[in-house]
Amino acid sequence: MKQKRRPGIAFTIICAILLSQAAFAVMVQAIGAILFTNSFKKEYATSTYYMANTAAALINGDHLDGYAAGEAAEEYELTRQRLDVYCRKMHVSLLYVICVDTSDYGRFVSIFNSVDNTVDNTSYTEWELGFRRDTTNDEYRKKYRAMYEKTAPYETVYRTTRLNGHNPHITTMVPVSDSAGNTVGILCIQRPMRELRDAYRPYLVSVAVWAMVSCAVTGALAAFYIRRQFLRPIQKTADEAIRFARENTKGEPLGKISRLREIDDLAGAIDTMESDMLTYIENLTSVTAEKERIGAELSLASTIQENSIPNIFPPFPDRTEFDIYASMTPAKEVGGDFYNFFLIDDDHLAMVIGDVSGKGVPAALFMMVTNILLSDRTHMGGTPGEILTYVNRNLCEHNKADMFVTLWLGILEISTGKVVFANAGHEDAAVCSKDGAFALYKTRHGFVAGGMQGIKFRDFELQLQPGDKLFLYTDGVPEATDGENRMFGMDRTLDALNANREKTPQEILEGVHGSVDAFVGEAPQFDDLTMLCLHYIGADKKNDVHELTVDATPENLGAVTEFIDGVLQEAGCPMKTQMQIDLAVEEIFVNIAHYAYEQETGKATVLITLGQDPRAAHITFLDSGKPYDPLGKKDPDITASAEERKIGGLGVFLVKKTMDNVQYVYRDGRNILSFQKNL
Amino acid sequence: MNIQQTRNGNELVVALEGRLDTVTAPELEAALKDALEGVEELILDFEKLDYISSAGLRVLLVAQKTMSQQGSMKIRNVNEIIREVFDVTGFSDFLTIE
Repeated sequence: MKQKRRPGIAFTIICAILLSQAAFAVMVQAIGAILFTNSFKKEYATSTYYMANTAAALINGDHLDGYAAGEAAEEYELTRQRLDVYCRKMHVSLLYVICVDTSDYGRFVSIFNSVDNTVDNTSYTEWELGFRRDTTNDEYRKKYRAMYEKTAPYETVYRTTRLNGHNPHITTMVPVSDSAGNTVGILCIQRPMRELRDAYRPYLVSVAVWAMVSCAVTGALAAFYIRRQFLRPIQKTADEAIRFARENTKGEPLGKISRLREIDDLAGAIDTMESDMLTYIENLTSVTAEKERIGAELSLASTIQENSIPNIFPPFPDRTEFDIYASMTPAKEVGGDFYNFFLIDDDHLAMVIGDVSGKGVPAALFMMVTNILLSDRTHMGGTPGEILTYVNRNLCEHNKADMFVTLWLGILEISTGKVVFANAGHEDAAVCSKDGAFALYKTRHGFVAGGMQGIKFRDFELQLQPGDKLFLYTDGVPEATDGENRMFGMDRTLDALNANREKTPQEILEGVHGSVDAFVGEAPQFDDLTMLCLHYIGADKKNDVHELTVDATPENLGAVTEFIDGVLQEAGCPMKTQMQIDLAVEEIFVNIAHYAYEQETGKATVLITLGQDPRAAHITFLDSGKPYDPLGKKDPDITASAEERKIGGLGVFLVKKTMDNVQYVYRDGRNILSFQKNL
Repeated sequence: MNIQQTRNGNELVVALEGRLDTVTAPELEAALKDALEGVEELILDFEKLDYISSAGLRVLLVAQKTMSQQGSMKIRNVNEIIREVFDVTGFSDFLTIE
């Protein structure tokens, strides 16, 4: 729906001007009419007074009283004729002389009476000599009295509007005096005020016309002026503002568009605003692009950091003497925490956990340097104390940023379970003996690495028995803080460990992580959270690794099953469990036989190990076929009816459902699928 | 695997012995394909069957689909291990197991 267009500035202002002009014109007309009438009345009064005076001079005042009684009839007749002539010549419609009863001025006697009805189209009749009449009009009585008492030289009565069919007229009265100067009668002259009547209307019309012309002219001038001075610049400014709001692009600057200060200021402000806004948008765009670039780089850095430490589990699927799992959850994209573990040789596993001071990119860079120094030096041999001493020296030499790192480095002798470790200001490890609980293994801490030149780090020893577990962590775990600023603490950490102590390293870390998350709740993660857990199974079980490599063809299923069953039966595995394991082995092997090598024939290797604590069979399949993660496939819909059922997908689903800890990785050109089953 | 078929009019009883796996499943599939002609009631006797894998499940599904159209299918004497496989895969929802 189109919005009703609202009135603009010009329309409003011009309407206001026209209305005020019209009001002014009406006022001028009213004042003019009053002044005009008054001025005419004054002119008529004066001229009629002179006429009346002239007529009064024709009368012999000494005989006036006598005329009514018939005295001096000849003189009366002569005077009467003169007055008649005067009346006609002077265009007077009525001329009369009366003697008023001075007791109350309520009566008079007519002496002379000349009428000229042609002057003003009247129909008066002449009064006879001696005609008597009462005066009821107070105005006349007052004026008669003024004449007799000589308080005024003359009196005038106006009839400016039409009254009783008579046109506007003036009646002027002057006293008629005797030779002694006493007033003996009153002479009245009535004249039409024709000029007043005739000029009045044209005057009003011309005033009205001129007022209208003036309105139109000023209105037009105002419109022209407003358009030129206000509207065009304002419209131009408004158009520019609307255009800019829509397009956000640079336009012609408005510049000096008006002589009027306010409009010029407005246009200037719009110009400034546009250029500022464009600069701002440009800045914002580049800042956003920069931010995106930094974000992308951070994400890449995060990936590099993640991949600089082992993050594929199980890391050593063919090593059964130990199980190791670690996790790192940085508070920011990249973190200063790290862990690492690697085999130095066949019998030595190095484990590191560290925490760089600070967070974010600087900490991440420092962490990378530390990790590389440490792992390089570790591979060269030596005890953890020597290695940390070397790492500290190297970190200090180039440490311009005064950063430092706490480090725990331990080397496990896999065959004996002996761990030699050194600690550079890091948290104590927690150890869980096979039948006991997790407890801190407290030793003296060295100083942090990178903090001070020339520090020597001491070696400590720790003996792990088969089944023991070792837990390493950074302060992010005990110092995780909830919304009320309470720390998770070491007690809760140990409780969480002990609640999960029978489980696999992965499950233990997940359990601790879950406890930390539950404790922290909605509070933001403040510090990196890094943990590492080693389950020492023991080197004496190494001989239990059974390996079979066959051509990956369905025909070899029998051989594989026989091999697995042989190991399981020797271990006294219950028949039901054996059948379940057979099923899983069949499904995985057949999968490899059918799909791994497509048309060609390749090898498949199956490893089975019997773990003693807990008693479990660990089975691993390896093939060099095309990378394929069978666990990534969607599970089949097991609620579908027979008709809707798809064939396929059931085998892997069965493995997932009946076996524990089913895992897949692709590494070193091999698909590695492993699972275990408690016996 | 040993497959023993007993035909009695429109009823066919198939007794299986041994393991129904990837290797043996095609044998059963082939046997049933010929034998199901005109059968209105198929009874699979699993009394001596020790083991079944997904390849065996596939044959059972095909047989069930066929028998749904021409009659009914029952499975008898299912052991605990096989029962569990049926349960896990949801086959027990549409198979008639006595």
